[in-house]
Amino acid sequence: MENIYIAPSERTPEIDFDFVNGKLSIKGEAYPEDASNFFGPLLSSIHKYLQTKPQREVMLDIHLEYFNSSSAKALMNLLKIMDESVEAGARAVVRWHYNENDETMQEFGEDFSEDLRFLRYEMVRIG
Amino acid sequence: MLAQNYYRYKQYFDQGGVIFSFSGFISEEILFALGDALRKKLSLEDTDANTIKRVFSVFVEQVQNIIRYSIERVDCVNKDAPAALSSGIIIVGFEDGQFYVGCGNTVYSDDVAGLRENLEILRKLDKDELRAFYREKLKEETDDSRQGANLGLIEIARRSSVPIEFEFLDIDANKVFFCIKSYI
Repeated sequence: MENIYIAPSERTPEIDFDFVNGKLSIKGEAYPEDASNFFGPLLSSIHKYLQTKPQREVMLDIHLEYFNSSSAKALMNLLKIMDESVEAGARAVVRWHYNENDETMQEFGEDFSEDLRFLRYEMVRIG
Repeated sequence: MLAQNYYRYKQYFDQGGVIFSFSGFISEEILFALGDALRKKLSLEDTDANTIKRVFSVFVEQVQNIIRYSIERVDCVNKDAPAALSSGIIIVGFEDGQFYVGCGNTVYSDDVAGLRENLEILRKLDKDELRAFYREKLKEETDDSRQGANLGLIEIARRSSVPIEFEFLDIDANKVFFCIKSYI
């Protein structure tokens, strides 16, 4: 699958999906005008990619400093898709990065992981 | 008269601790520009980083609610372009040692009961209950835009230090001016 790179904008995070090496990253802030428009295509590429059952373990690093409620919905859907793909045989890990003292992002990190059953999920505190 | 009137408006706002206010047609571009100015202003004043984030988040959710739900709106001719203009008022200020974000826009009378019910529920929940409620709404598999608004209101409640204030004012038989105010 072709790699995806989207430079960060004022309202959208940097997207760096290196499918060749199984390293995916979402970094920055997310409050797009239309969250499903921005995240929708990204969700379906990750879904398609994981369906190919890549040899190596896929790693997704999420390091967001702010996102609005519609983006939260999209992130939840992304993790759900990954969880189901792991159940179906793919191997993946998500690392949720948050800055020290950022209670909001720490709480979101904890809440997002709550219902995942198969996907490996790590919280990474940056201090 | 001009200066007198404008000075009176400004004094009225200054007395309410208003940092800035915007009334009229608002777009996503204006949301971005105002939000950016708000964060700059607060960080120049050495406001605590977590407080800035909470004020900003409440601001974004309130303005997006105006953009999505105000019934005074101009829609684009091109259906693929979501960028419409919606009319409302947004006020950010500092009062009694606390920041506040307030907004108002016109809604249909038929929507008042639902809004009131949602807001009354949120007013009764404490921090942990709000967090659990947000999590619950997040899991619901629906793209219903009303649910989206609901999540936005929960986000506003979570970042507020006291229950959200709200009020409805009848404009005519079908329309109501809907306001909320949130202290951070």
